[in-house]
Amino acid sequence: MILSLIILYVLTLIYLSMADRFRTHTMILALQGLLLFGLAIARMHEFHPVEMGFIIVETLVFKAIIIPIILIHVIRKTKINRITSSSSQFGSLVMSVVALVASCTITYYMHDDSTDIISFGVALYALLSGLILIVMRKRVFAHLVGFLVIENGVFLFSMAIGVELPMLINLAIMLDILISILVLGMFLRRMDNDMNTDESEALTSIKD
Amino acid sequence: MLTYLIISVILAVLPLVVRTERLTNIIAALFFLVQVVGIALVFYFDRVDTVLLSIFRADSMALLFHALMTAVLGFSLLHSSSYLKAEGISTRSYKAYYTLLMLLAVAITCVYYSDNIAMTWVFLELTTICSAGIIYHREFKQSLEATWKYVFVCSTGIAMAYLGILLLSTVATEGALDYASLKEAIVEGNPLYLKVAFLLMVVGYSCKMEIFPLYTVGVDANYAAPAPASAFISTALVNAGFLSIMRIYNLYASAGEVFVWARHLLILIGVLSLAVGAMFLRRANNYKRFLSYSTVENMGIVAIGLGIGGVALWAAVFHVVCHTFVKSSMFFHVGIMRHVYDSYSINRIGNYMNINRVGAIGFIVGTLVLLAFPPSPLFVSEIMIFSEIVTVGKWWLLILMLVLMCVVLYSIWSRSLRLSYHSNQDELHLTAVNRRLSYIASIPLVVAVVLGLWQPKFLTDMIDTIITDTPIVKAKTEVVEQNIVVFAEKQQPAVEHTAPNTSAVPVVEEPTENEDVNAENLE
Repeated sequence: MILSLIILYVLTLIYLSMADRFRTHTMILALQGLLLFGLAIARMHEFHPVEMGFIIVETLVFKAIIIPIILIHVIRKTKINRITSSSSQFGSLVMSVVALVASCTITYYMHDDSTDIISFGVALYALLSGLILIVMRKRVFAHLVGFLVIENGVFLFSMAIGVELPMLINLAIMLDILISILVLGMFLRRMDNDMNTDESEALTSIKD
Repeated sequence: MLTYLIISVILAVLPLVVRTERLTNIIAALFFLVQVVGIALVFYFDRVDTVLLSIFRADSMALLFHALMTAVLGFSLLHSSSYLKAEGISTRSYKAYYTLLMLLAVAITCVYYSDNIAMTWVFLELTTICSAGIIYHREFKQSLEATWKYVFVCSTGIAMAYLGILLLSTVATEGALDYASLKEAIVEGNPLYLKVAFLLMVVGYSCKMEIFPLYTVGVDANYAAPAPASAFISTALVNAGFLSIMRIYNLYASAGEVFVWARHLLILIGVLSLAVGAMFLRRANNYKRFLSYSTVENMGIVAIGLGIGGVALWAAVFHVVCHTFVKSSMFFHVGIMRHVYDSYSINRIGNYMNINRVGAIGFIVGTLVLLAFPPSPLFVSEIMIFSEIVTVGKWWLLILMLVLMCVVLYSIWSRSLRLSYHSNQDELHLTAVNRRLSYIASIPLVVAVVLGLWQPKFLTDMIDTIITDTPIVKAKTEVVEQNIVVFAEKQQPAVEHTAPNTSAVPVVEEPTENEDVNAENLE
């Protein structure tokens, strides 16, 4: 069960590197939220109502519903549709495969007995995939998606190393990320209104 | 603490519901008063080192930096009023600016007092969100660009830092993430995990401390924000980044050989920051960016001080304290300068000595203090860092630092003179000068110069307490460790001669070649 969910998660990351429509990106993020929910539930040793409630809020409500809704709202308001050039798709696919190999290699050297080696590797792959999206794509919306992929990777990472932070801290972290997404979404819309673009190349006017 | 937080937050959001700018100013004054009373109460009731709300602790480091933040905040609120009026902004924007500045102050205070590594992260992320509104306040194209970059890079960087915290928390017993518990547990940690965790946390927090590699967003933020807010961001917020890294540094002090690796990393980051600062100070054509790169350079020196350890550790903390006064004063002067010229352009503006003599003299004196000319307090701290570098035998580092600092000296001094004595390059619309503000802007500078001549006992005691949290590194073998301690004790009079107020400075942590020879002799 866990292995199939992890394989599905890897497939979403590979697909994300090839997808060119932003709605697809948003759907993939929602799917990742669902997969993380499945993984978190599958890893629970015994039933705790509070813990269960928090997992539902953090993965299902927050990652699979609220964030995709915010992103869809931004897509509608800014009328952005897809990434601009197809060449960056091939490049990011190649980079994604390289990242997968690199993740496996790093995991091989880094893991110890206390960590779940497969989740660790996939979490690392997710982090690198997010960074690749940020570096390779030109539109800032894709950067926002990259940031969310990194956040999902961090969540998977915390499961891989078996860290359970206190509930209050988890809640604070979740709210922090939510506010960051809202602020970023707001500024993205502002950028579209004021600068009539959401290309990262337009963000080069500040220089020495 | 809860009462203090509730009152502060209520006062911070209160400007949003009042109608006039005058009422906003009164609320801001009350907010400042609450900060002063808060610090005074901690001292009066002797609550130093007590745990508050189970996630905060009022230790010396938090109190010192909270006091510094409050001092800068007072000046910042005062200058903001005249700055915003000169900008001619709407009452709504005026109120929003004050609200955000006060909320940022609350978030920074929480970072200072946080006793939990995860909560420090949470509050640092909160500072990003509060800063975003201030950076975007002027609502022009570049401010939008700077804000986007700031929020995005800080969020991504801090996500990386969170990854580091997760790796570090593998050593935590029963999920306890307070610094004291982690310090005990870190000894048992996987060295590779600890190294990666340190790297990720320092890289993540570098966007706040304005050091290599994520320093750029801080520079852009200072460029876009109103000058009094830039003064606050480049001192109080930078100090929050420093304090977060300092707490991690103290944690790692009990991590044996990982700590040695971490200190080497800090030296590398410090040298790179110093190099970047020196390089871009030559290129900058905007006084605010210019001062921001100077912050990068100074924080680079601080990182080197942390990396070297010993007396340099004391000097690093003292450097940050004094830098807060000097840099805030310089930013306030630059803000006044903008009133006059309506520009920050280095190549365009000049003749400031004839237009505003008080401001020009303040700026020149500030430049000299920034360049560590005696009696600058930065001279004291830099000499202490250099002496410690010589003591540990890292001559290459000393030479590299001196070369880079010569470039910095030339760049800063030539630009400072250009502002005061060169003629304006084109037609400028000069406005009336507010000399009263220039005098007020010079007050932190005077405080800095006084600190250069005389360091009050309470300050040196506080810094001593801060650095004694860092114990002596355990050497690989017991014999070597004993010998190093004996050797360091023999060296102590020489160290005290250079730095009279460093009685509590931990002894040299890392065995150098000379020490190894002495250790053998002693054996």
